[in-house]
Amino acid sequence: MAIDTATPAPVSSATPSPEKKTRREINILAGFGHLFLAVWALLIIAPLVWTFLASFKDNEEIFGDAWTLPATLRFDNWARAWTEANVGQYFLNSVFVVSLSTAGTMLLGAMAAYVLARYTFFGNRIIYYLFVSGLAFPVFLALVPLFFVVRNLGLLNSYVGLILVYIAYSLPFTVFFLAAFFKSLPNSVAEAAIMDGASHTRLFFQVMMPMARSGLISITIFNVIGQWNQYLLPLALLQGEGAEEKWVLTQGIANISTTAGFHADWGGLFAALTMAILPMIVIYAIFQRQIQSGLTSGAVK
Amino acid sequence: MSDNDLTRRTVLRRTAAAGLLATPAMGFLSACVAGGGDGGATDQAEGEKSAENPLGVDPAAPLEVVIFNGGYGEKYATDVHEPLYKTKFPNAQIKHSATQEIATTLQPRFAGGTPPDFVNNSGTKYMDFGTLIQDGQLQDLSELFAAPSVDDPAKKVSDTLVAGTVESGTYNGKPYVLNYVFTVYGLWYSEKLFKEKGWTVPATWADFTALLDKIKAAGMTPYSYAGKNAPYYQYLVILATAAKIGGPDVLKNIDNLADGAWKHPAIKTAATQWAEIGAKYMDKAHEGLIHTEVQLQQNQGKVAIYPSGSWLEAEQSASTPEGFNYAVMPIPSATASDALPATGLYATAGEPYFVSAKGKNPRGGMEYARQMLSKAGAKGFIELNKSLTAVAGAEEGIQLSPGLTSASTVLKAAGANVFSYRFDSWYKELDTELRTATNALMFGRENADQFAERMQKKADAIKADSSITKFTR
Amino acid sequence: MRHGKYPFVIGFLAAPVTIYVVFVIAPYAQAFYMALTNWRGLSPGQFVGLENFTRLFQDEVFWKALRHHGILLLALPLITIIIALFLAFMLNVGGGSQKGMMAGVWGSKFYRVVFFLPQVLAIAILGVLFQSVYRPDGSGMINSLVSKAGLEPIGFLIDPKLALWSIVAVLVWQGVGFYVVLFSAGMSNIPKDIYEAAMLDGATRSSMFFRVTLPLLWDTLQVAWVYLGIAAFDCFAIVQTLTVDQGGPDGSTTVIGMEIYRNAFVYSKYGYASAMGVALFFLTITFAALSLRVSRRESVEM
Repeated sequence: MAIDTATPAPVSSATPSPEKKTRREINILAGFGHLFLAVWALLIIAPLVWTFLASFKDNEEIFGDAWTLPATLRFDNWARAWTEANVGQYFLNSVFVVSLSTAGTMLLGAMAAYVLARYTFFGNRIIYYLFVSGLAFPVFLALVPLFFVVRNLGLLNSYVGLILVYIAYSLPFTVFFLAAFFKSLPNSVAEAAIMDGASHTRLFFQVMMPMARSGLISITIFNVIGQWNQYLLPLALLQGEGAEEKWVLTQGIANISTTAGFHADWGGLFAALTMAILPMIVIYAIFQRQIQSGLTSGAVK
Repeated sequence: MSDNDLTRRTVLRRTAAAGLLATPAMGFLSACVAGGGDGGATDQAEGEKSAENPLGVDPAAPLEVVIFNGGYGEKYATDVHEPLYKTKFPNAQIKHSATQEIATTLQPRFAGGTPPDFVNNSGTKYMDFGTLIQDGQLQDLSELFAAPSVDDPAKKVSDTLVAGTVESGTYNGKPYVLNYVFTVYGLWYSEKLFKEKGWTVPATWADFTALLDKIKAAGMTPYSYAGKNAPYYQYLVILATAAKIGGPDVLKNIDNLADGAWKHPAIKTAATQWAEIGAKYMDKAHEGLIHTEVQLQQNQGKVAIYPSGSWLEAEQSASTPEGFNYAVMPIPSATASDALPATGLYATAGEPYFVSAKGKNPRGGMEYARQMLSKAGAKGFIELNKSLTAVAGAEEGIQLSPGLTSASTVLKAAGANVFSYRFDSWYKELDTELRTATNALMFGRENADQFAERMQKKADAIKADSSITKFTR
Repeated sequence: MRHGKYPFVIGFLAAPVTIYVVFVIAPYAQAFYMALTNWRGLSPGQFVGLENFTRLFQDEVFWKALRHHGILLLALPLITIIIALFLAFMLNVGGGSQKGMMAGVWGSKFYRVVFFLPQVLAIAILGVLFQSVYRPDGSGMINSLVSKAGLEPIGFLIDPKLALWSIVAVLVWQGVGFYVVLFSAGMSNIPKDIYEAAMLDGATRSSMFFRVTLPLLWDTLQVAWVYLGIAAFDCFAIVQTLTVDQGGPDGSTTVIGMEIYRNAFVYSKYGYASAMGVALFFLTITFAALSLRVSRRESVEM
């Protein structure tokens, strides 16, 4: 798909001014483009704003006209959501589990991907395809057997078990993309380091990891998002005595959502939802530059 | 792994339980395997039988109770029933948990041979009873029902219950399930609203449609159910109408997967008449709402009549306005030649509880059930949940809420003309198909003929499917 | 890279491979075996060979779900990629040239942040959110505006003809932002002077897009296609939370994931559900392999 790279015209001082027709065409297109950008942004912001507003409404208002303001700011919705729904607790649980499991995923995934990408040995392909095939399997199919594996290891209803399982289920994706990334790194640096007598391990941690930084960042983002969203795995693996204190945010939200149905506490539901969304938005706003640049220089060049 | 004294079947069972099938590479895990699904009587707690302890419970054995955390919440277990058990056996540790995901959380435990002792198998994700029974997971409760009751040792437990309770939990001749809550089904409305408007409870279909016309003229949605997650509220109404037209045997034949059961003229008539109600008096949008959303609209005076069971009032207590006064009417007579009178009613014991046969403490589980069925246990439940229980007369002396009063009244009026069906808990595929078909019928995508055709086809398929355990009544 | 290779290789692979085999491969291997039994979730089932698969091929619901996957597989990538491409183009080169640099339109920084936002919302949250968006009466975010305009409310999830597309819309809404970033990355790698040259030749913006941007982004597009295709095979969570009757009305939104879930957790037909899962697995693998083979990126050797 090479494009025919016409030799760029030398930038001369005699730049011909673009014709009027082009100018007009640009304006129409730009106008339409602006409009489309604004509309799309609105489509994303509107539901979030609505949720925020709904968190102050009572049932009457929530099931009334969608785009009206709440009559008063009912902070009791928030109080109820905070005390009854334990959103804060679940949020912290999620943060704890996901930070550990993502770190583990990245370390183990990078190690495996690196070896698979840059070393030839017997069984390399088999292991690689074993990892890759994991991309295509619906998780809840393995749920029951997985439950037994975790239980027999004595890791049921423990964060250790959950984190190990998260790591295992994130490996296919991580290995698949990091292997591609490590393959694309130049050999010269590695060879130079070997000449200097660096061990394989040192080469990996001191030369290769820093070189692959951008790829690592983008896959980290992927994994954080993916693990943050997990619902089925914690549901199946965090059960038993005191499991409710260990719940992660998605379980909390699902539970609130059903309970709100049973007790018709819709205001409380949307307050809880807002509590779950807001920190994510804040965290994302803080880190958005890193996230964007991470993705931009990411594994998928 | 392959101990010589183990039979091949046990090995298979163990391997299955250990989660090692087809994964020889994981043999090293077998060391951690706790005994598989072989819950024999060997490791089950047992104590001395006595007048005080008729079921022979081991007073020190721990008991694990799992409650479905839905419309009834879990307070009745933690604040009423568990303390009752604890008072009787102070040394027994009770492990309580509540979940909305019964099947997701408990299925693996049953498969692994470590089930909880006492389970409230309810909600949208309950475990399939047929499968559990086929696998021998449920304790035969005959001993419980034959035991002397808590309040009057001269009476058997079964004699203290509302007629039909034991039978409603009986599968192929054995009582495996305790249905604890007695539920009256019908069409619910606000007594206050009807009084204000001068509307009266209809007995015939003509009166019914005339009433719906009046309501429509008053600017309300006359009739509604929630299509998104509760079409079974509506299919109950359709089948109840069919039972009134053709007699309770119509439902019995459906339960028994009798040939042509769905092609009975009563079903076609009922489906036709309800489809008309759907076309004329319902709001199309309600197919996309869940039950609590439609119920809220009824509380807000937007919906007049709503089909449900007697849990409705308790479920809506938070959003019911002062003086709303829930009341229930039986489904009006569909034709002039109905087999049953207009007062005929769908009512049955529901909300299933069972004791695990392969648990550690099945005797404790049965004793827990016996405590639930005591006067104190039933009273506590009624007060917390505004629902009638299967314990006869337990509601006496309790100030009943308007909705419960109304439910008791229509139940008394019905006399012996009370009926119910069982297929929904026997054959879940049939239940799923009927939900879909009911929405298609009520919202005008299919007619009564297609409805009956479709259901008959599914029933025949289930009948022909050898992998599904069959039940009869 | 010769001496001491094996100890290092084994050392690096031991932990990840062990965790992976124990927690992923072992359960899946059993799931594959389960597909050949009539296991009902409790005692071990009997081996029934391929019976589940013969049943599967006679199961109308399965074929219905498969058709929906076909629609999703075409519609989801196509719509998402078109919208994301257009937005990315506007953000990166829509602003014309300033100081000899191609620039995005005004406010592109803000847009970039907003577009990516849906990615950080958990599926559980998304489900609750879109219930309110699609609500079929005046309390729904869209239908409120529709009824204000004096029109009949739209039954997004009620009308069997619309329901599946409403699900697609949710997936597009969530996915576009990610691909905007992805394509922006690709576009920023296109040498500026190519655009400059094209501008000097008097090329219009649209012809620039088709003659410069699109061909140079081809690789990235193919990656996006594979991602989205795999996503299309797995939209069970959204279907489960949003649709009438979980996959309705009349099964018009059901997907294989939903049917696996129903067969396993509602009917306790674990053997049959596993067979469905195996079918889904081979479908996904086939799709991914075909796509990757067609795209033939040198970093991925399929």
